[in-house]
Amino acid sequence: MTQATVTTEPAARAVGAKKYYGEGDTEVRALDDVDVEFERGKFTAIMGPSGSGKSTLMHCQAGLDTLTGGQVFIGDTDLSSLSERELTLLRRDQVGFIFQAFNLVPTLSALENITLPMDLAGVKPDQAWLDEVISTVGLGDRTDHRPNELSGGQQQRVAVSRALASRPEIIFADEPTGNLDSTTGTEILAFMRKAVDDLGQTIVMVTHDPVAAAYADRVIFLADGKIVDELLDPDAEQVIDQMKKLR
Amino acid sequence: MLRLTLRNLAANKARFLMTTFAVVLGVGFVVSSFVMSDGLRSTFGALSEDITAGTDLLVRPTSEFGEPLPLPEDLVTEILAVDGVDNAEAFMESAENELQPIKADGSTITTAGPPQLTFAWNDDTEIGAFTIVEGTAPDEPREFSMDHTAAAKHGFEIGQTYDFVTPLGVEEDFTFVATTSFGADNATVGATLMHVSLAEAQRLFGDPGTVQQIAISVDPGVDAAAVANDIAAVLGTTTAEIVDQATVTAEQKAEFTEGIDIVGNVLLGFAIVSLFVSIFIIYNTFAIVLGQRVREMGLLRAIGADAAQLRRSVVAEAVIIGVIASAIGLAAGVGIAALLTAVFEAVGAELPAYPTILSARTVVLAFVLGIGVTVASSIAPARAAAGISPIEAIRDGAAVTPENGRQRLVRGAMTLLAGVAVGSFGLFGPGLGTLALVLTLGSAAVLVFLGLTLASPAVARPLTAVLGWPVAKLMGTAGGLARGNASRNPRRTATTAAALMIGLSLVTMGYVVGESVKSSLGNLIADSVSADYVIAGMDEAALPPVFADELAASGQFEAVTGMRYDEARLGADVREVTALDMGTIDVLFDIDLEAGSIPASDATDVILLHDELAADLAADVGDTVPIEFVSGHTADLTVAGIYADATIFEDPLVPDQVFDAAGAEVADEWVAAVLPDGVSTADLAPFVAELERTYPQVSIDTASEFQQSFEDTIDSMLLVVNALLALAIVIALIGIANTLALSVHERTRELGLLRAVGMTRRQTRRMVRWEAVLVALFGAVLGVAAGSLFGWGVVSALPADTFGGSLTIPIPQIVQVVVLAAIATLVAAWLPARRAGKLDVLDAIAH
Repeated sequence: MTQATVTTEPAARAVGAKKYYGEGDTEVRALDDVDVEFERGKFTAIMGPSGSGKSTLMHCQAGLDTLTGGQVFIGDTDLSSLSERELTLLRRDQVGFIFQAFNLVPTLSALENITLPMDLAGVKPDQAWLDEVISTVGLGDRTDHRPNELSGGQQQRVAVSRALASRPEIIFADEPTGNLDSTTGTEILAFMRKAVDDLGQTIVMVTHDPVAAAYADRVIFLADGKIVDELLDPDAEQVIDQMKKLR
Repeated sequence: MLRLTLRNLAANKARFLMTTFAVVLGVGFVVSSFVMSDGLRSTFGALSEDITAGTDLLVRPTSEFGEPLPLPEDLVTEILAVDGVDNAEAFMESAENELQPIKADGSTITTAGPPQLTFAWNDDTEIGAFTIVEGTAPDEPREFSMDHTAAAKHGFEIGQTYDFVTPLGVEEDFTFVATTSFGADNATVGATLMHVSLAEAQRLFGDPGTVQQIAISVDPGVDAAAVANDIAAVLGTTTAEIVDQATVTAEQKAEFTEGIDIVGNVLLGFAIVSLFVSIFIIYNTFAIVLGQRVREMGLLRAIGADAAQLRRSVVAEAVIIGVIASAIGLAAGVGIAALLTAVFEAVGAELPAYPTILSARTVVLAFVLGIGVTVASSIAPARAAAGISPIEAIRDGAAVTPENGRQRLVRGAMTLLAGVAVGSFGLFGPGLGTLALVLTLGSAAVLVFLGLTLASPAVARPLTAVLGWPVAKLMGTAGGLARGNASRNPRRTATTAAALMIGLSLVTMGYVVGESVKSSLGNLIADSVSADYVIAGMDEAALPPVFADELAASGQFEAVTGMRYDEARLGADVREVTALDMGTIDVLFDIDLEAGSIPASDATDVILLHDELAADLAADVGDTVPIEFVSGHTADLTVAGIYADATIFEDPLVPDQVFDAAGAEVADEWVAAVLPDGVSTADLAPFVAELERTYPQVSIDTASEFQQSFEDTIDSMLLVVNALLALAIVIALIGIANTLALSVHERTRELGLLRAVGMTRRQTRRMVRWEAVLVALFGAVLGVAAGSLFGWGVVSALPADTFGGSLTIPIPQIVQVVVLAAIATLVAAWLPARRAGKLDVLDAIAH
């Protein structure tokens, strides 16, 4: 698969995205005129050293943070034109999230956590889809358990299920395996890969880990707020080499 | 370590401000109660001295029992002749509101609050303590004076004539001849003070040829005690005593102090409740804040702080808060006192001006209580915080290990049972003195509350789940999450709710007891009174003696009788005796006659006895019992009957003739009348209206109005309960808002997650608000349950024959209060909810 074969519009894109902090001498350009497209049905990883702007890009692209200049789109919706409330509803209905830790609401059972965005929207989840997601994730009979009764890996699987359950336009994952041991991390990554391949989901993942990045279809490298390179169908070695160049 | 303590306080300013507020309120009420009673005591102390300033000796009648007979007027002349006596004048004072001037606009001066009093004018202004400001002294019939403050307030003008409500009916055309001043500053403390001549005083509220007391001044340089001995010699057979100025002043002060103490004690009660409630809030704040600082504590432990140091640091924080809160509370107390004074004035019970006295005792007590309460409630959290393992704390911010739930439940249940046992002893055990009873019931209440707070976490989860069910159903996901949050930390929920529980239980108890007494009394009155009208003087003004006769003579009624009371010796003891027209008893009342019969109207020297009294006297129908009155008059009365109903009469009943022969009380306390068959109270309305015009000081109630007036009395007592409710709810809401703010802070990341996955700000606010409501409802349910239990206990302990002892639980009122509390909670939760809604999503996730 190459970029050329994709003809549909991207699931999300940024056009001239700028995010500046401070002014004058102390100005920091977290995003410095970034143009990027995230293809539908693809698994994209964003990499870069600390302070490169990779988390900022993800937060702005997901509607969690606002830009200083430029535009970001989810589908063909320009996020900069949305009010706080519209952004919230967009996140609820069109975006899925997987965080590094503290992904679940402790008072809700695993199943309730999975359906939370739909419950907040007041819509009934698609039961067949839900069953498929849960069985794909392999949670099985543990859906009645509270988060504190699940292992770290199981909790993260619930988080992935929640992100998938509402069939969002796009899922953003922020270091999803950062808190997991390598075996469990591998499981989660494999599962995310599967969601892209089998379910056609679009995923954007920010990560430090070259091994994790190797699961993606495409890796974007950021440094000092700019996109400096990208790799298609990478393997871990290539990613490591690329990262070395950036330091 | 101290520097760290101070830094911590500075870092958590807002949070500790709220803790402080709870202490401030408690301390403030204690201080205000002392400031008010100290100030009033000083005012009334000065007043007592003013009143008696010019009187060196006072002669007053005595009697072995009952109201003494007045002194003969001649005695004044005899005393004047005694060597060393400078002057002697009669002292006459009316009963409160016995005489009421009618203003130019036709209305009387309202009689709620300070009274209207009329005196006989004393020409000797040293003895009388009154001076003329303008005009001439009232020395002719139908002349009167009034203190200049009241005269100006009510628009009385010198030279004009005014009508007077008197015990003899409305009398017309009294000339207003002078304005007066009581002492130098006319310190009337709100009363209306009037004078008439001695002869008028005797005619209107005394007896001709008699005076109530004789005030005496002695010649300068003469020993008053020696003169007193000489005066004793001229008293002859008159039963009277001679007292000196110091005694009279002391008695006067004691009389005032009694009233002041009641106000002071009510305030002190409020103070104790608010302090007690505050403890829970302070405890909760410390527990939560320390829970959040576990990591920091762990770090301190890891770098070498020992457990004792940590504990001391927490307690030091408490001391600092206690000191600050007590100081603010001290100032607040002065403010609360001023506020309460204004409230009293607004409801028409004006208090006299009083100086603000902050005695050393008040200051010390404020600090001892403020610091004590704060430190006491910090000890347990301090211990728990110091006990955490350093490594665990640093690694994952381990929660402070909660005490074993089962153990806690057992301790709570034991405390609860102990409270119930102590309470039962107080209510049903041997008769205790008032103070002992208050202390017993107070400690019972404290034990019950503590027990409930300890044990209630066990039910917090299921109960909030049930209470939260409709919220979850109606409010969607936000409601469901609110429900989950309310039950996720049962101990926190229980402690937060404790404040509201205490407040609502006191209110519920008040309502249950009030309503039970109301309905029992209502039934009893309906059972034992068949009169259509019950007539009494307004505001304790006496009924004109002629009133009952006039009513009987009007021909409008089938039966009329006045009831008058006096003391008499019956057998070995002095008792209150009621005189009435015996022939009317059958028509007007149902006294539940057990033996004998009710005598006719013209029967003489007979008596009806309540069965308990008959047993005491070992008297049976047909026996005679000796009676002796204050006047010394004796008679042998034949027992005509024995009755059982104690609602209206518990006293022995005698015919009017017995009182008349003995020269006992002449004025009726109240009058009962019944209409002939076929005449309704509506038919008689014009007649009653006319009667009320003639006797404005009389309140003519139909039987149902009479019952209503009983209920009104109880309702006005419930006002105190409502004030207590308001106070308890305010403190409880502060506690709920405080805990909620802390919980929101604690759950920042969770809130961030919820917002990230699409919870709107509105949903977030709603979630926080409804969590607050659920906590409040949890407290309310426990409070209502405990309060109903208390109420049941009190009602069961009340004597059944006067209060009926039947239990009424006023569900509508209680529901109303609970709903009110829930609504108030929604308002209180507004700020923390807003804060939760405004959290920045990214910051919150990174928290």
